[in-house]
Amino acid sequence: MRNALLELINVEAGYGVFRVLHDVSLRVDKGEIVALVGPNGAGKTTTLKTIVGLTNLFKGEIMFEGSRINDVPTYNRIKKGLALVPEGRGIFAPLTVLENLYLGAYHEEARQKLSDSLEMVFTIFPKLKERKNQIAGTLSGGESQMLAIGRALMSRPKILLLDEPSLGLAPKIVSELFQIFKGLNEEWKVTLLLVEQHVKNSLEISHRAYVMESGKIVLEGESSALVNDERLRKAYLII
Amino acid sequence: MLPSSNLILQSVLDGVFLGFLYSLMALGLSLVFGVMGIINFAHGDFIMLGSYLVWILANSLRSDPSLMSVITVPLFFTIGAAIYVAIIRPVLGKEPLIQIAVTVGVGYVLQNLALMMFRAEPRAVQISYLNFYVNLGLVSVHTAKLTSALLSLFIVLGVHYLLTKTWVGLAIRATAYDKEIASLMGINVGKIFLLVFGLGISLTGLAASLWMTFGQADPYIGSSFGLLTWVIIALGGLGGVSGLLASSIIVGVIQSLTMTLVSPSVSLAIPYIVFIIVLWFRPQGLFGKG
Repeated sequence: MRNALLELINVEAGYGVFRVLHDVSLRVDKGEIVALVGPNGAGKTTTLKTIVGLTNLFKGEIMFEGSRINDVPTYNRIKKGLALVPEGRGIFAPLTVLENLYLGAYHEEARQKLSDSLEMVFTIFPKLKERKNQIAGTLSGGESQMLAIGRALMSRPKILLLDEPSLGLAPKIVSELFQIFKGLNEEWKVTLLLVEQHVKNSLEISHRAYVMESGKIVLEGESSALVNDERLRKAYLII
Repeated sequence: MLPSSNLILQSVLDGVFLGFLYSLMALGLSLVFGVMGIINFAHGDFIMLGSYLVWILANSLRSDPSLMSVITVPLFFTIGAAIYVAIIRPVLGKEPLIQIAVTVGVGYVLQNLALMMFRAEPRAVQISYLNFYVNLGLVSVHTAKLTSALLSLFIVLGVHYLLTKTWVGLAIRATAYDKEIASLMGINVGKIFLLVFGLGISLTGLAASLWMTFGQADPYIGSSFGLLTWVIIALGGLGGVSGLLASSIIVGVIQSLTMTLVSPSVSLAIPYIVFIIVLWFRPQGLFGKG
């Protein structure tokens, strides 16, 4: 068995006293794209937030590079190499594009690689270079999603967690985005955990996938196999 | 009898100088509110406490009050950080009413302490090297007021530079906008809050040192400064340094003219009334974005 980069073991987590996740176990290996799909309210966002420490963890283990990070505060998990592109993008609207990118490289190790990282992000997203001095709040939906991803890359993450990156974007931009994810994984060797509503696209670019329902993992496997799974096809109308 | 134009000019000039000092007084309040969302009702009382401390220090060391900032700034940073840990941090994210009760309480404790220790008499320092007027013909320049104005401007611009041109400033602005997203950038939000609250209180220590070069300490200046700094922030609209400076000067000039032309006893009421009238027409403040 391969060594997991990130592993959730029997995780129960939620907000306040409310449990959203029940006994969730999942694994992401180095170099993989793993998709996490499921209907609204299944707990996908909560799963990602739990990984970076923004929820209450009641039970279970979160392992990163073989060590337990249950009690590591969020800002130190970022330092360890986790990065989350949150749902709704979480752009700092009053700051410039460049300032947003700098913030991605806030921790010391990332700061030392600042100019390299900027070059990398501008290579992947040339639009951001054109707009670097613009106030981030004035970007279009697609551009702010690129900024959110670019900003997360600035921290030189070992794993990039993406929460509904295609939400609210035009179909053309959505397919562009999926190509970018593929490129990030293949060319830049970034490991991805992708939460998506576009089930078919996600299964096409990912190596493995988990299906969540009501806070539980109900199905998992190779994405190529899941694409043909009858239950999934019915549930998500994959044609 | 109409007051002479010289008198008015003099009053405006003194008001401008006072306004710059007010901008320094309001800066810490604005930072704490803007970044942490905490309304520090004790802010003015820290200036009051600082003024007494400067009075004691300057008189016992037989030195100029402005030099006492070497002591008040680090001391007040430490006091601010301690108050943050002991009193503010536990109520973060709680109901606004609880937060208000906590800071109002701190203010009253400080005020009562001052009343008990110093009674209600105003106190001024014995030595202030710059406490004199230089006659320039049309107007006279009060050197202590001029110096405090220039130093205040220098500090306000310095903090602006810190916020816009440094890593820690970037982290402060990110935290002000969204603390959860800030933590996703690897920013230790708790540390930023501690720093901002400490900085906010240390600025009151500095403002108190400058105030005492020409002003007096009494237990009630805290309430006056508290109200004035709130009016300044509300007028200026949170965020910009130019709005802060402009509204500080407006308040300073209105107050100074009120003292000269009406009566010192309404020097708090008139700026406040002007503020209310402005709010009728521009609820977002004079310089806030609509």
